[in-house]
Amino acid sequence: MTEQDSLFSYETDTGGNGFSLSVRLGRIKLDNPVIACSGTFACGLEYSQFYNTAILGAVTTKSYSLKPIEGNPPPRICETASGMLNSIGLQNDGIDIFIKKHLHEAEKLGIKIILSIFGQDPEEFRKVASRAADIKERIIAVELNLSCPNVKNGGMAFSAMPDEVEKIVSSTVSILNIPVIAKLSPNHQNLVEAAMAAKKGGAEALSVINTVVGMAVDIETFMPRLGNVLGGLSGPAVKPIALAKVYSLTREKILPVIGMGGVFSWQDALEFLVVGASAVGIGTANFIQYDVGEKIIEGLRNYLKEKKIYDINEVIGRLRT
Amino acid sequence: MKLLTGEILSNEKYSDNLYKMEIFSPYICKNATAGQFINVKCSPEGVLDPLLRRPFGIFNIEKKFNVFSMLYRVKGRGTKFISGLKSGDMLDFAGPMGNGIDLNGNENNILLIGGGIGIAPLYLIAKVAGEMKKNVFFAAGFKDNSYLRWEKDLIELKINYAVLTEDGSWGEKGLVSDYVWNNMKSFKNFDIYCCGPRDMLKTLQNIYKDRNNKVTALLEERMACGVGVCAGCVVKLRKGKKGFSYKKVCKDGPAFNLGEVIFD
Repeated sequence: MTEQDSLFSYETDTGGNGFSLSVRLGRIKLDNPVIACSGTFACGLEYSQFYNTAILGAVTTKSYSLKPIEGNPPPRICETASGMLNSIGLQNDGIDIFIKKHLHEAEKLGIKIILSIFGQDPEEFRKVASRAADIKERIIAVELNLSCPNVKNGGMAFSAMPDEVEKIVSSTVSILNIPVIAKLSPNHQNLVEAAMAAKKGGAEALSVINTVVGMAVDIETFMPRLGNVLGGLSGPAVKPIALAKVYSLTREKILPVIGMGGVFSWQDALEFLVVGASAVGIGTANFIQYDVGEKIIEGLRNYLKEKKIYDINEVIGRLRT
Repeated sequence: MKLLTGEILSNEKYSDNLYKMEIFSPYICKNATAGQFINVKCSPEGVLDPLLRRPFGIFNIEKKFNVFSMLYRVKGRGTKFISGLKSGDMLDFAGPMGNGIDLNGNENNILLIGGGIGIAPLYLIAKVAGEMKKNVFFAAGFKDNSYLRWEKDLIELKINYAVLTEDGSWGEKGLVSDYVWNNMKSFKNFDIYCCGPRDMLKTLQNIYKDRNNKVTALLEERMACGVGVCAGCVVKLRKGKKGFSYKKVCKDGPAFNLGEVIFD
């Protein structure tokens, strides 16, 4: 009879024996390209039960707004073929609780934090950014969640409107004085324009993709499977979409990209790096394989050693077309 | 809480869709308490479909043998997969998760009200309460006699119980909530733990609205992470006089004060 701990030991030196995993996205320097995606890792505390989350290149926090938000009615989760839909509705404790409580907890664990923020209108973005400015020495960057609806403009997502993207990015950049990352949605035709607008506004990097809009129906009750009717699709099902979206941006060489969407293994991560992402986000995989971040870092390091590639940057953008 | 793989010692078919799986796990047996759950990967190693882990209440813990078990119904692709696992196979799971039930501050009388598969986590509470020499009564309701084999487990606890079935094929005919209502006087000084379908819980909430019993419901909701990160498994709870807040079944629960739950 056997029982095994799935935990395995890790090396704290993320470079390791002359093989370097460190990457750079503008002014953002990471020990390795593996980042936990916003909304899938809280602030790192829960997963630190399973491994030392300080080894991650960075952890992007849950998205915080000015005031706490209760979120959408349940059910909020629905599994689909190799994926899941969610309609959490950006439930969060508000930026002040993050600063007072969660930031401190994450710091104690040695986690490198990217703070994700959002607002229901440009004014709220500015207000949350002002709060974030008070703690800017304690975080490595701010990520703007631009996939949320602009309440003052018909509920259309900010990232659907390049003008809005530029305005929000430039106003937060001027408040913050630390690197700003724009997280863009795959649900609009003008991703490249939105990315260019983010660059114009002064963004340092792009996070691509957020979830893909989707729905599911219960054929017994004829009810939607999500309380909010529509939700965001994530997981292995979206990886090909994510790769194509990342490629559409890296091909244009607009800004460094953090590629994300369906990354579950080091091989998945490598695909994103090859198409030109400078770093890779791990999202839904955290829900299933709690120590996936550690496994992917380990896998990438072993890959470099095996192939005798001394620097991960030699792989980035090497897609042969 | 740990990510573990444990050897399956048995995966016994109780009836068409009902199974009991025994898993070897010193860690769970040492650390888990009644009311907690484990989160099980329900696809082969390296396969990501079905994607999400499934939560299962811990049904029994046999500390002496380092074996715990879960009683589960085959409902979809995930449970279908694990129902096909054989003794000797390894189960990929994480746990123990959620908050356990602390029976120390309780009345000496414990009433468990279970509907369908809701009996699974209550069974361990009943066992622990019995070991604490409390007066335990288990009222269990089902549609039909498909849970009949479970009565053998129940008999082992040497507690008083009543079984009700909607079709009358086993035990008394009727609903478990009606049984509780009809026997209200006998359960006057009981602390109550209930788990089961929403309609049953709603009825119990009404029954106990103006009574003084401490009524705890073990709730279930679709879950993604199981560790309190994704905020997917929320339930609506009363907050203040008119307000509400969403609480996570996985991290804040799965046990909640039934009176505070809002069933929309």
